[in-house]
Amino acid sequence: MMNRKPHFVIKTSFGSTLTSSLIVSVLLSLGSFALPIHGYAAEKTASRELSPIRIPRLANGKPDFSGIWQTTSAAEYDLEPHSTRKDAPPSAGVIEGHGTIPYLPAALEERKKNFEARGTDDPRLKCFTLGVPRGTYYPEPFQIFQRKQDLTILYQFGDSVRTIYTNDTNHPDDADANDWWLGDSRGHYEGDTLVVDVKDFNDQTWLDRSGNFHSDALHVVERWKFLDANTIEYKATLDDAKVYSRPWSLSVILHRHREKDFQLIENYCYTLDYDQYYPFPKP
Amino acid sequence: MKKMKSLKQKCLVASTLVLFPLAVNAAEDGQAASAAVVKPIVSSESKPKAEGDNIRWEKKYVNVPEGQWTGPRLADGQPDVQGHWSNTVSNHANFTDPQGGIPGDPQGRPPKGTRADRAPSRVSDPADGEIPYQPWARAKQQEFLQYFFNAIKPEYIEPLARCAPAGVPKSFYWHGYEIRQYPGYVVFLFSSGTRVIHLDGKPHLPENIKLWNADSRGHWEGNTLVVDVTNNNGKARFSRTGDFSSENVHIQEKYIFANDGSRYTYQALVTDPTVYTRPWTVTIPARRYTAKDKPNGWHFEVLLNTRDAKGGEPIIERDERICVENNGGFGQGVKH
Repeated sequence: MMNRKPHFVIKTSFGSTLTSSLIVSVLLSLGSFALPIHGYAAEKTASRELSPIRIPRLANGKPDFSGIWQTTSAAEYDLEPHSTRKDAPPSAGVIEGHGTIPYLPAALEERKKNFEARGTDDPRLKCFTLGVPRGTYYPEPFQIFQRKQDLTILYQFGDSVRTIYTNDTNHPDDADANDWWLGDSRGHYEGDTLVVDVKDFNDQTWLDRSGNFHSDALHVVERWKFLDANTIEYKATLDDAKVYSRPWSLSVILHRHREKDFQLIENYCYTLDYDQYYPFPKP
Repeated sequence: MKKMKSLKQKCLVASTLVLFPLAVNAAEDGQAASAAVVKPIVSSESKPKAEGDNIRWEKKYVNVPEGQWTGPRLADGQPDVQGHWSNTVSNHANFTDPQGGIPGDPQGRPPKGTRADRAPSRVSDPADGEIPYQPWARAKQQEFLQYFFNAIKPEYIEPLARCAPAGVPKSFYWHGYEIRQYPGYVVFLFSSGTRVIHLDGKPHLPENIKLWNADSRGHWEGNTLVVDVTNNNGKARFSRTGDFSSENVHIQEKYIFANDGSRYTYQALVTDPTVYTRPWTVTIPARRYTAKDKPNGWHFEVLLNTRDAKGGEPIIERDERICVENNGGFGQGVKH
């Protein structure tokens, strides 16, 4: 936790009643105490560790991710580095090391086909559930509701609902394994990082609008970590022996919506094709 | 592909039932035929019944009275009503005669017994149990009913058959559902759609935003969750008999919970001057499902996780609800 006392001491040391020599002596007395340039310091500054950040917490002390979040990245358009296209803004990509996805040769061919057909074949165009991790970096907000035993994620796009269990439970046995659109999510904490193991996917979702994809052998490990109270660093490592030659990782930043009265607004976009027929028009 | 999630099959069944209502009646008849004599609920504090009581065919029930909450509370002070719930008197086939089947059923299967033998109308006011439609609106409802078994136009297909959310109030007498609670929110996870009830005092959305599940602002009064519902798009039907509102509808809900947590009564005042001649009230009884109940694919669509069970108590896990994705266009049998 943040230690407020050094903060007070340093403020005092810069008070107008103190002479410069006093300031020096105070600093010397603090040994290798680094100057606290962001207004507060912690006990471990001597070892130059960053101050622990003040983040929201549940009653049990675990980080509280409750809130409405959204990315500002261009990940949804194409995870890989890409120049400007008519259907995508440019981006250095969100793959670790600014690399590309390590597709197996046959999978790379399929990805190329997907790319060519992206204007018609992206499941998003039918408003289908985006899957994991795509829902996290889709450019619409999602809301996290959190209890000690689980996190519920409500994605505005399609109103998909995902549960991440944090109650020390395991994935279903392989014999019971199912193919979920959102996978089966079991989370635990490593320090203040929420680590989520996700498997039992189907092969129906894409990873972005450019046709990056996976099979039903996909295994995702997510790491959700506060950078500050209003910013989450989201990392996902994807492994899929049918499609990739090795595991690879992506990372995006999620920002908390803080606009006044901001809320999710229902978006059952798959109903748009037929809602012209309802309700009954008054004659 | 590995086998698909059980909910996919449920959803397929549901879609078939909606598109071919004869099948659903057969299923309901089957359930009704196997039902034991249902005892009236004599107390709102009654214990949850075991699986097999066919409680969806409850013919009489006592409404839970409004009053104090003496049950458990959450850290933020809300009454703790989290868990799995389902209504006790049939599904959405018929709104005003819930166990009466659908008029005009071409198979000609009569409802069970006389009207007095069946559950009361969900319309608890007016006393005649009928929705007080304006003449044009009654004609529209009758027109929908006339073509329900032969949907010759797209507007005669019930939106739920196309995977639209069941809306307010139908979500409460479709499948079972889960209530989760958080500081500032009550969240309903329905078989078809999701509702977030805001307890945080924020204003309603601008009125030109219209939604299948509307916009809900609530607060607790003792054992009662009071919710103001606006921004309804008026597109969902209340029933297969075509009952409806318009996008001007205003619904004032009360969820009145029994202190032992076993039941609650849903009451809603429905006001819509464009469709009805006066405000009217819908009443829907509901009961809780727990790990002691066997998952049954309708009221209690969950998995009981016993692999991680501690102390012998199974952990209830809710399947993902996927409709349009797994059915390739629910309602696709009709090319409109």
